[in-house]
Amino acid sequence: MINSPVHDIDLTEDVALSLRKKTKWHETLIQGALVACGILSVFTTIGIVVILLNESISFFTREVFEITNKSIATDIGPADTTFETTASGSTLVVGQIVRVDDELMEVLAVDGLSLTVERGIQGTEVSFHTADEEIEKSVRVPFREVFTGSRWQPRLQQFGMWPLILSTLMISVISMIVALPLGLASAIYLSEYASNRTRSIVKPILEVLAGIPTVVYGYFALTFMTPFLERAFFGDNIQVFNTLSAGIVVGVLIIPLVSSMSEDALHAVPQSLRNASYGLGATKLETALRVVLPAALSGVTAAFVVAISRAIGETMVVAVAAGAGPRNFEWSQVFTNYGETPLNPLQSAETMTGHIVRISGGDLSYNSIDYNSIFAIGLVLFLITLTLNIISRRIVERFREVYD
Amino acid sequence: MSDSNDSTNIAVQAKDVSVYYGDFRAVKNINLDVARNKITAFIGPSGCGKSTLLRAFNRMNDLIPISRMDGEIVYRGKNLYDADVDPVEVRRRIGMVFQKPNPFPKSIYENIAWGARINGYKGNMDELVEESLRSAAIWDEVKDKLDQSGLSLSGGQQQRLCIARTVAVKPEIILMDEPCSALDPIATLKIEELMRQLQEQYTIIIVTHNMQQAARSSDYTAFLNMDTTDRSGYMVEFSETSAMFTNPQNQQTEEYITGRFG
Amino acid sequence: MENPENLYPVDEELQKFIDYRKRSGTIWRGVFLMSLFVAILVLIVLMLNIINDAFGLVALENEVDPHSLVTGYQENTMVSMPNTFASTNHAALAAVIQQNETGIGFVGHAHYQTNADDLRLIAVDGQFPTAETVADGSYPFARPLYIYTALDTLQSEPAVAGYFRFYLENANNSGGELGYFLADETLMADQINLIDTLAGGPQALDSLGGNLALSGSSSLYPLSRQMLLDFRQAGFGGDISIEQIGSEAGIEAFCRGDIQVLNASRPMTVAEAATCQRNRVNPVEIAVGLDALAIVSHPSLDFLESVSLKEMGQIFAAMNYWDEIDPSYPVEPIVRAVPGEGSGSLELLSGSMFSTIGLENLSGAAYAEIIRENLGRGRGRALERDQRFLAEGFIFDSQTAFNGACASAEPPTGCAQPARDRDNLLDLIEQEIIVPQIQQTWPLYDSIFNRQAIVAEASRKYPDAIVEFKSWLNPDFLVNPQSSEAELAGVRTAIWGTVMVVATTFLFSFPVGVGAAIYLEEYADSTKWYNKIIQTNISNLAGVPSIIYGMLGLTVFVRLLLPLTSGEMFGRVAEGTDPSGRTVISAGLTLGLLILPIIIINAQEALRAVPNSMRRAGMGLGATKWQTTWSHVLPAALPGILTGTILAMSRAVGETAPLIVVGASTVIRTDPTFFSRFTVLPIQIFQWTSRPQPEFQNLAAAAIIVLLLILLTLNASAVILRNRYSTSS
Ligand SMILES: Nc1ncnc2c1ncn2[C@@H]1O[C@H](COP(=O)(O)OP(=O)(O)O)[C@@H](O)[C@H]1O
Ligand SMILES: [Mg+2]
Repeated sequence: MINSPVHDIDLTEDVALSLRKKTKWHETLIQGALVACGILSVFTTIGIVVILLNESISFFTREVFEITNKSIATDIGPADTTFETTASGSTLVVGQIVRVDDELMEVLAVDGLSLTVERGIQGTEVSFHTADEEIEKSVRVPFREVFTGSRWQPRLQQFGMWPLILSTLMISVISMIVALPLGLASAIYLSEYASNRTRSIVKPILEVLAGIPTVVYGYFALTFMTPFLERAFFGDNIQVFNTLSAGIVVGVLIIPLVSSMSEDALHAVPQSLRNASYGLGATKLETALRVVLPAALSGVTAAFVVAISRAIGETMVVAVAAGAGPRNFEWSQVFTNYGETPLNPLQSAETMTGHIVRISGGDLSYNSIDYNSIFAIGLVLFLITLTLNIISRRIVERFREVYD
Repeated sequence: MSDSNDSTNIAVQAKDVSVYYGDFRAVKNINLDVARNKITAFIGPSGCGKSTLLRAFNRMNDLIPISRMDGEIVYRGKNLYDADVDPVEVRRRIGMVFQKPNPFPKSIYENIAWGARINGYKGNMDELVEESLRSAAIWDEVKDKLDQSGLSLSGGQQQRLCIARTVAVKPEIILMDEPCSALDPIATLKIEELMRQLQEQYTIIIVTHNMQQAARSSDYTAFLNMDTTDRSGYMVEFSETSAMFTNPQNQQTEEYITGRFG
Repeated sequence: MENPENLYPVDEELQKFIDYRKRSGTIWRGVFLMSLFVAILVLIVLMLNIINDAFGLVALENEVDPHSLVTGYQENTMVSMPNTFASTNHAALAAVIQQNETGIGFVGHAHYQTNADDLRLIAVDGQFPTAETVADGSYPFARPLYIYTALDTLQSEPAVAGYFRFYLENANNSGGELGYFLADETLMADQINLIDTLAGGPQALDSLGGNLALSGSSSLYPLSRQMLLDFRQAGFGGDISIEQIGSEAGIEAFCRGDIQVLNASRPMTVAEAATCQRNRVNPVEIAVGLDALAIVSHPSLDFLESVSLKEMGQIFAAMNYWDEIDPSYPVEPIVRAVPGEGSGSLELLSGSMFSTIGLENLSGAAYAEIIRENLGRGRGRALERDQRFLAEGFIFDSQTAFNGACASAEPPTGCAQPARDRDNLLDLIEQEIIVPQIQQTWPLYDSIFNRQAIVAEASRKYPDAIVEFKSWLNPDFLVNPQSSEAELAGVRTAIWGTVMVVATTFLFSFPVGVGAAIYLEEYADSTKWYNKIIQTNISNLAGVPSIIYGMLGLTVFVRLLLPLTSGEMFGRVAEGTDPSGRTVISAGLTLGLLILPIIIINAQEALRAVPNSMRRAGMGLGATKWQTTWSHVLPAALPGILTGTILAMSRAVGETAPLIVVGASTVIRTDPTFFSRFTVLPIQIFQWTSRPQPEFQNLAAAAIIVLLLILLTLNASAVILRNRYSTSS
């Protein structure tokens, strides 16, 4: 508060008030709104994590009933707690929840083929059952199987995510084989060789390529790349839907990303390093490959990592061109008969993203195992890409420190 | 190589050299004989074209797309700008040290070895590294940390590393463009000392902004100035350093070296 | 180190070394350049591939030939004109013309000849029916006549071969008398040779065994009958018989193997021949002469010398008085005599008289008439209740039944709507009667360079199809809703969906994104941990795969916020239906979250580019932070912010995966509202691409062009904005 009179102005009450610090409520309100906008993005992330975790937990804790091939041997009334079962099928253990018709029971004791149970648990109705009724046992989605199993058919109680992961990796590897060399080589040309004129023509073209919706690339993969591969190389050996063509096109789609990020990194290398190299009698190639590129290596690596993340998350190309249905396999086949596994690029295979799209494209019931399962896949996908993006930014940050 | 006694003492010769950046002529009509195993200094006000002229000697200006050059640089009886001359080979013979130290972001060892390797060096690399670092008077400071990054050294050390790197490819002439401008006085003195040692094996051309440095450490001095009308640089005076600093022939030179302008 | 020079290559070795380095430099430079070209090449191939699929030839098979609708309609008009006598009996036609002073009409040329004294022959476009004009086709109302038999029959039954030979030798003798136009003599001789090669040389007529049974066209009946009689006269001993059942029915029976010798007033179509082949009937076709219709009038009608086809159309299907055709003609009613309904003669007439009139030239009333004639009653009534065909009266329905339906609890839509207009009727005829079916499509490249081969292939595989050039991208494609018929499908609903979803996205993400950017750039202390978290978080979000956003949208917007996004809160859900959150709003908000990081990052950059002096100037004048930001900083940054936002929007326009997860991928035929289910262009493309039928790939290509054009417009406006901004500052 200022209260010393200036010159000979009378310090009236009004002036004093106007100089006092006021709580400008509308300023506060606006600032509050702006903060809210900023925080919304944090909520988005929290939302993603919570939702993926929540549904994944439902997936892992969900009860599914599996056929035991065992059935009741005699009719049982509502009061019977001990009854005989057929000899066939899997053995039951104490504590297991079983289902007969619509009634749930908990196994209290097993004595040979005779079963002692608590009837009608979890609020199910105790009812009369006739001989030969199937006994189903409750299973949880086995956590271990999800990350080791090689068959993914949740409705058939097969929860191995590897068919999806492996084809995702397959697509990523193929696309990286295409995108990394081509993207990097283009970046080197643009940064080290191209004239300003060439650069001003080519860079917008790359931007156009980057701006084309991925579904268009999917169309391209299906209607051009696959027929092309078929005619030029593989003939009947290649299926209409295959990971090779999808992978190549994903690679093409990523070229602009790799090339522009790499070019930024190459461009950031100070001219003085190039001069030093030329001053020693190096050729342009030696300068580009052995001075500039190593100096920009962290930036280029960051570009590569982002590219991998992008390839893993890419959806529409694989949804259109890679095929529908997970390619289930046996681990032993990987060594003996890999052609029948997702490792065969000429056959169709479904990736994580492709699976999510296909499953959610149908009218999906919110309580189904399929619904829960795509969130579990989404969680894995989210974690992989998030990790890759964080790694990439770490690398870039380190690389900035070197030259600033 | 010519047999004439005169030319054996000349390392490189500029004949009527003009360099353009687009339409702008940065330096014009320079004629200059650089004596073998001597230090020749270019002095002059900022922007008068010293660096431009220096770069003309090893065709570094080729790397600037808009630049163009008239005249000849004659080295061993050959015009370096002839169509059949390879600039890569020129730069190997006529090395360069830059204003700002620019070691490669590699180890100290690699900084030296790299240039040698690309030029097809066949000898013992360790020996070459040691010898080059010694001749740049930095061996004792770095011999225990050869695998550390060149960027970890101080500015003066970095510049000596750059000199060592240049020396390693065995050039005949070393061009130095204000090698000390980014350095403190002690580091500057060290480099000047080093130049005197190198003078025995190499011909050195140095651009400097610093009159004392030119007076202290060069044998010949060329004074360049900017033409007031077309702003292009021209050579006002070229003579033995001692002569120029004690008895300048030209009014401008005198004004410049006594610090009245520039 | 005595001589260090020697440790580096010298002289020749040096030269080689340098050459080697230079060469590898050149090679690698080429490699880099090629890599760059791959990207450009892909772009070119991609575009060419799309264009290649979006245009090209199609083989279009109509269930009904559109021109036959025109001629059918015109035939009806002709026979139902006032003062018109229609009969299949040409003698009766001739009699009517003779009896009326202003009479005009058509009779078979044979009939004209028998009554030449009482009838006046009128030229058509200056041509009278003569042997020459009929043979060279300059007289329009003429057609060739044929007899057919199966190859087996010809070879195994000498009576047939004998009869054919006799026919060819003698038709030109009797035919002229009967009023037929004679076939070319050399053609006849050639055909005799053909018979000889197929069936062996001639045999004595009285030795020929077997009988002869003819059937088919009534036009050829008099000639073939005369030939049969003459054949028996000449010595043939077997039984003879002849029937007239019409060409159409005759060909059908012949191809089943039921007819020994067929009379036909038109050649077999390729399709009919194919049917024959399938039934192991190998038709042998023999042309025996030409039949012509003469246009004749009462002898007193002397002002008409020659008429054009157009005038004939007026005379027979439009006008009632002669002076309406030409004021110099008398004011007398036109009395007409035309061949009866269903006869081949009437078909021949209307076919040539109205050959230049297309379906699209007819009036709305004509369309209603065509619909009445060709549409099934049940279907017709259903369509009429959807929307009436006529402003007055009904075609299929009755007034009372219609009124009854309108009074019911659920009145049909037709009660409240005006009658269909002409365009609507034409569309209806196309969809319901003509029903074009695409049999096969060809890409543009083949269509241009292999046109001949394609046309040949198509006429073999789809004999009834028309091969025409089709641009899959056409005005109809833009305004038609989705359809399961490739020929009728369009992208209107998808374009609307895209527009509305993106509008929602913009309304949500622009203010929020800019707000967040203002907070981060103008208010936040970037060294504080929580602001760092926000900033890091935004860059992390930019790297999250879009499909994850779809799952977020599905859970939050579609399920959690169902009352809001389904419109239930606003009373936008119809009574008795389940509210669904799979709406435009949900999709727009999902995409809003998706592009929020992009908008924030771009807006931050734009704000950062505003020089600090502007902020100081504002603050210095005593403005508050917000006042400064609002009136100085934001306007300066706005072009940059808008450019970034437009680019983010174009990302939203192309996004597909998250919207599939949110639930867009259904067939939508009606224009969406903010609270309805929807489809968008990329999803439409995805669906069409995923269909196995090739014509849907063509549709996908056309839709891709539309999508790319939208994106191009967006990007171009961003570029213009950027340029204007950078030149003005
Ligand atoms: N790469 C370049 N492109 C255009 N003009 C240049 C370039 N380098 C130097 N110049 C111009 O050439 C003139 C001489 O520059 P320079 O040789 O660097 O002077 P000095 O080294 O004497 O300070 C200056 O006017 C400068 O602006
Ligand atoms: Mg300089």
